[in-house]
Amino acid sequence: MSSLVVEQRRLSPPFKARNFKLTLVFVAYVCATVWSWRYINMSFAGLFGGISDVSALLARMLPPDFYLLNSIVSATIETLWMALLGTTIAVLISFPLSFGAAKNTTPNAFVFAVCRGIITLTRAIPDLIFAAIFVRAFGIGPLAGILALGLHSIGMIGKMFADALENSDAMPREASVSTGATKWQAIFASILPQATPAMVGTALYRLDINVRGSAVLGLVGAGGIGFIIQTALRSLDYPSALAAVSVIFIVILAIEFFSSRVRASILGERSSSVVTVRSQSERAIRRTRKDRTLLVDAVTMRSLVPPMTSERKSRIISVWAYVVMLVIALGTINMPILSSLGYLDDAWRIVTDLVPPDFTTARTELITGMSESIAIAFISTTLGLFIAVPLGLLSSRNIVARRAVFVATRSMLVLFRGIPELIIAVLFVSAMGLGPVPGTLALTLVTAFFMSKLIADTFEEVDPSPREAVFATGATRVQELFGSVLPQAMPALVSQILYMLDVNLRSSTVLGIVGGGGIGFLLLGSIRVFEFGTTGAVIFSIFVVVYAIELIGAWVRSELAKAN
Amino acid sequence: MSLNRFNQQADPIVRLSDISKRFPNGTLALDQVSLDIPRGQLLCLIGLSGSGKSTLLRHVNGLHKPTSGSVDVMGMRVSDASNKELREVRRHVGFVFQQFGLINRATCLENVLSGALGRLNWPRYGVRSYPKQLRRLAFDHLDRVGLAEQAYQRADTLSGGQMQRVAIARSLMQEPQMLLADEPVASLDPESSGQVLELLLTIAKEENMTVICTLHQVELALGWAHRIVGLRAGKVVLDRSAVGLDQRDVMDVYQRVEVADAPTQSENVSIPLSNS
Repeated sequence: MSSLVVEQRRLSPPFKARNFKLTLVFVAYVCATVWSWRYINMSFAGLFGGISDVSALLARMLPPDFYLLNSIVSATIETLWMALLGTTIAVLISFPLSFGAAKNTTPNAFVFAVCRGIITLTRAIPDLIFAAIFVRAFGIGPLAGILALGLHSIGMIGKMFADALENSDAMPREASVSTGATKWQAIFASILPQATPAMVGTALYRLDINVRGSAVLGLVGAGGIGFIIQTALRSLDYPSALAAVSVIFIVILAIEFFSSRVRASILGERSSSVVTVRSQSERAIRRTRKDRTLLVDAVTMRSLVPPMTSERKSRIISVWAYVVMLVIALGTINMPILSSLGYLDDAWRIVTDLVPPDFTTARTELITGMSESIAIAFISTTLGLFIAVPLGLLSSRNIVARRAVFVATRSMLVLFRGIPELIIAVLFVSAMGLGPVPGTLALTLVTAFFMSKLIADTFEEVDPSPREAVFATGATRVQELFGSVLPQAMPALVSQILYMLDVNLRSSTVLGIVGGGGIGFLLLGSIRVFEFGTTGAVIFSIFVVVYAIELIGAWVRSELAKAN
Repeated sequence: MSLNRFNQQADPIVRLSDISKRFPNGTLALDQVSLDIPRGQLLCLIGLSGSGKSTLLRHVNGLHKPTSGSVDVMGMRVSDASNKELREVRRHVGFVFQQFGLINRATCLENVLSGALGRLNWPRYGVRSYPKQLRRLAFDHLDRVGLAEQAYQRADTLSGGQMQRVAIARSLMQEPQMLLADEPVASLDPESSGQVLELLLTIAKEENMTVICTLHQVELALGWAHRIVGLRAGKVVLDRSAVGLDQRDVMDVYQRVEVADAPTQSENVSIPLSNS
């Protein structure tokens, strides 16, 4: 009897539908990667050949030559102003839009659907595509770039603003409504104040992203430093190109540092201890009472305006700094707004030409271009992953015993993450010639840098107690890594891979603009020859593929989240 | 609509006629409740959690609408008032919540000022968007609850008792005829409970406000209420003048209610009936 029970014991886990489905997805992913590898004729020989080509190019770039410094500096400033104005436009449009797109503030289901639709659409179309279209409508110059950044950023800013509104506590609103406030009074008085810090944080974060984005808009003629880089490379003036790249690299790092500091101080306000907040404001009140200035109400000796705390002071300074920069930006940037208004009907004609999409004229190019873009996305994600896992391990402080190692890798990652992928792609294309391979290599590199950071963060969040338990059984470090760290980190890793695939798919659709393969080539070509029906077809196809990957990703994540 | 003529001086100030409320999930929260509340009365609602106390309060200022029956407040038929009419009523009815309903990261002064929104025309954001006159008034109300010193402190830096006092000041900002308080001290420690309730009632008496308050602490209720109303499963099971009612009677109600929930003894429980 008991021997029978022993016989019946399973020595391998039982079949589960969920595991089977997830395995299928994994197999499909591997197959897609293998197919992609063949489709674009990728080879390890080509890979290493590419690396030597790129290093040869880098050798020819050195030392950077700053004889164009004046135009580099003014182009950099133009880049910054473009980012500032583009982000401002996006915020101005997103703000009202987000109230329609948040469940708790939207007037009705129709407005909700329209606002969400605008947000999804603007997010799906890359800023570079907007820029290429606007260059056609408004001519070469920063205006096209600003509008492109402005429209594309609505996708992210609108979404995050709406999330901020939805995440607010509902109680204060009920209290406001109970005092007899109208719907909008209640929303402004009790929901908006809760969402403000997150909104400011989002705007700053997007500004940061847009500085990087505006650096490459020049590649399609939409102003900024990208134009200088492209011209220098085309005229084989490599040292100048390196000079421009290094200037924008430093500027991007500086902006990123600055914006992350500001964001931390805005968003971190909750984490600051109650005691310090209290004593600060008490001190501030005492100060205002002491110097009974004009601010203090004559009758009651009470200040009717908020006291000047250091927090408030820095807020006021930031707002004024922003306003001053905005005025300078509007004043200095070469942007003939009024005369451009005359081209508005041109712009509108382009928009109407995009629909209905024309799938027939360039059918083969459309199919090969899309396939190539998808192939690039799969290969760069997979290759990037292989580089990112060891880098990520090296830069997580709880895995690497030596402090120096993880500090060094982390700093390297932070440095290189700042370079826009299209600038890397431009360099690679100059070194290796046109085609999907340099594009793939560029995306691989960017994926590796970006993902290492994500992976390191995941590893650092791993619960230490199971690790200790595994060590206690006498396991080696590597055994422990596979036995306790990886199983814990796996769901997060999988969702990061899917996220990277999503990001890379979007990026690979614009690589063709700089000759890096994929659908971008047809996209830019169709815009240049005014075949906007084809442009519409390309945009539609990109939208469908990106959306499909997003859906698959969401499904896998929800499956992973299930207990079993 | 002669029914819907708003009249601040109406007496009884609140008239609930046969109201029942069934929520979309099927729960019957109120079952044929009728109550007349005369002007100036301090009424205390008692009963277990889920007995319908909060739902009843929310019917008085129209946050909930009854499934059947009617609610008249200050001459206005709240149960089928338009949004504009509802705001008119709410402007004169303060509401104090168990969880305070303060905006955590706004200053106390701004929280108090938001009580004036009902008489202002446009959305407001930040202390400076309110007229100076109202800011002075808000300071006076903060002073009344003893928190003028904390005017520019963020609400989330206060203790629970202080937060509820700010919420009371916000209600005062409305200059209400009536105050609805939903477990105003349930989230507070015993000492601040006493202080906050004391403050609430002193102000209510000084201003001759009508108060409907739900409370768990029976001894507190008996100390100040004119009238005690007990609810169980959405029905009024006790409605008496607090005079002559001692703590045991009321505790008895609570216990009987609890016992009544046990299936074996439910038959021999007598429930004190409404005496009106």
